[in-house]
Amino acid sequence: MMSLANGKLNTPYTVNRVNTEQEDIREFLFTLGCYPGEKVTIISKLASNYIVSIKDARYSIDEDLAKAIICSNH
Amino acid sequence: MRIALAGNPNSGKTTLFNAITGKVEHVGNWPGVTVEKKEGDVKQNLNPRKENLVVVDLPGAYSMSPYTSEESITKDFVQNENPDVIINIVDATNLSRSLFFTTQLLELGIPVVVALNKSDLTEAKGIAINIPTLSDILKCPVIATVATKSANNGLLELMNAAIIVGKSQKKQTAPFAGGAKKASKEGFEKADKKRYAFVNDVVAEVEKRKISSEKQTLQDKVDRIIAHKWLGIPIFAAIIYLVFSISQAWVGPPLADIFVGWIDLFNETVGSLLGEDVNPVIGALLLDGIIGGVGAVIGFLPLIMVLFFCLALLEDCGYMARVAVVMDRFFKKVGLSGRSIIPMIVGTGCGIPGVMATRTIKNERQRRTMAMLTTFMPCGAKLPIIALFAGVFFGENSWVGTSMYFLGIFVIIIGALIIRQITGDFSRSYFIMELPEYRFPSIKRAAVSMLMRAKAFIIKAGTIILVSNAVVHILQTFDWQFQVVAETAPETSILASIATPLAVLFIPLGFGLWQFAAAAVTGFIAKENVVGTLAVCFGITNFIDVEELALVGSGSEVSAVFGIGAVAALAYLVFNLFTPPCFAAIGAMNSELESRKWLTGAIAFQLGMGYVLAFLVYQIGTLVSTGSLGQGFIGGLIAVAIMVGFVVYLMKKGSKNKQIFAEMQAVKL
Repeated sequence: MMSLANGKLNTPYTVNRVNTEQEDIREFLFTLGCYPGEKVTIISKLASNYIVSIKDARYSIDEDLAKAIICSNH
Repeated sequence: MRIALAGNPNSGKTTLFNAITGKVEHVGNWPGVTVEKKEGDVKQNLNPRKENLVVVDLPGAYSMSPYTSEESITKDFVQNENPDVIINIVDATNLSRSLFFTTQLLELGIPVVVALNKSDLTEAKGIAINIPTLSDILKCPVIATVATKSANNGLLELMNAAIIVGKSQKKQTAPFAGGAKKASKEGFEKADKKRYAFVNDVVAEVEKRKISSEKQTLQDKVDRIIAHKWLGIPIFAAIIYLVFSISQAWVGPPLADIFVGWIDLFNETVGSLLGEDVNPVIGALLLDGIIGGVGAVIGFLPLIMVLFFCLALLEDCGYMARVAVVMDRFFKKVGLSGRSIIPMIVGTGCGIPGVMATRTIKNERQRRTMAMLTTFMPCGAKLPIIALFAGVFFGENSWVGTSMYFLGIFVIIIGALIIRQITGDFSRSYFIMELPEYRFPSIKRAAVSMLMRAKAFIIKAGTIILVSNAVVHILQTFDWQFQVVAETAPETSILASIATPLAVLFIPLGFGLWQFAAAAVTGFIAKENVVGTLAVCFGITNFIDVEELALVGSGSEVSAVFGIGAVAALAYLVFNLFTPPCFAAIGAMNSELESRKWLTGAIAFQLGMGYVLAFLVYQIGTLVSTGSLGQGFIGGLIAVAIMVGFVVYLMKKGSKNKQIFAEMQAVKL
């Protein structure tokens, strides 16, 4: 178990949980397809942001959000 | 029949809407361009049986549980306004996410047609979709569309399908019944998980991908350079400089020269038609006031059109979303996020949609902060002012426009910092934004966008600006006894006597002349009026051709016409850009801020910001260029000190709130 912020590039991680008190961001991530059991891949780290691939789209997320996404390496 | 267009952000809803209705609503290649619903009638050729078809374009939404306020517009509309048909626009390259919303729409009991848009992009990405199977599973028609193409785009088939399902007595059955209302939240989550599982199964059955989407692409490589930590900002600056160079130095001015020639010809023709017999007061009103004033503003049209053409290309290619990524780091330091760049980009066209675009921001303090500050970005109407002063005083230098652009961003960052201190709300929010794919910008779309702007500009010039100029001219022609003012004593006119007391306030800013004060005031009606009023007051009809000015002022003494130097001109430019926007934009601020207190604060803040910046530019500029301080330094310094002192007092008071906020947070935990 680790946060996505510590993840390596081009490695698919499985989301375990989204660790935040802000319920709405968890729900929002869910609608994008980022929820326990789904895959997320870091494409690159730019400026202070992470470019991630969720489902078939690219998103830019900040470090705070990357830290909140707890995932494991399979 | 009312047809609603619903789908994920950036799936091409507005592009499709424009293609169906022939309207030209603003499109851009980033999520969240549309923030309100728009209606239009279906074009004749897509509606051969001439039925009464109204299409409603809605803001993009990822699901029926809205995250930001513009998403709730979509949810409320499809849930409460009973459209006859929903056309669900699905991005063909992103089925796995889009179908989540599709299954929710199919549960509403309203007939749905799926438009599988961007179908032209699937092949290059190695995606194959089995459309008949998809249609079978979803139990609704699925039509492949390419909204960006003008022929063979599937739109006629789409409209036919929509009419058929709209008239059909047979109800569609939802392929997945999640049950919209679940008692507990856990139950809701469980149902949504099953929904996604269903979607995953559907995608597995109908879609074949040769290339997995999480593989690195050329686009990702481009991102690494364009949104690079250190290169990102210089690249952005270079692009903006290039845009201003093209519009204000390379392509714009030669076009404007030709255009202004026509306006002059028109003015002369009208003059000779009037002849000598016409009443000189009426003749002057028509020639100097109306044609001269409006002509001076319209003269900048080619420059503005070229600028908007360039900006539309930038918006279309997908670059703007990357700017949000680059700027996120800096905005975060002042309590905003990269999302804040979106209203600013929209605001470079016109402040009103810019202010409305703040709806895409989730956090309330951030949203209000941006509604207050967005209009600091130089909008299209402020462009003639920039072009005028850049042309007359700085030899058409592109750095003037570029630096005003970046000064706008800088002022917004400072403003946000101050507002965060005053509110004491230091809460942080997460930043997440979908990155659209890059694409070659369409010349046609950019041209259409440019022509729409030009049309709006001409209409404004022929109405508000024309009336304003006529009024200014009349007020300048007569004194309070309604006698025509003698040419040797222009300071006795009504306009001069109203504006002079105001002008006194501007002495420390370097432009304490009544003409400038009057122009700044008419600018609140429409910013283009600043140029128009200056033209009327100084009796100049052509601002583009600087040689013409030289005839009035002789040679290099162009500034003599205005009676101010380059430093004061820059101060005046800064003052006009950073004071409150026009009344229409203030109205938009009022409705987005939803608070008298915030609106009053916003206007006071903008007035103060304009004054302080102009004071600094004039006084420091004068000190550097002449070695001594400018006029009225002491008086201005006192005024500035009072304003700054008041803001500091509010910020001190706000930091007490900070503790209260912190305690509230602690209670929540």
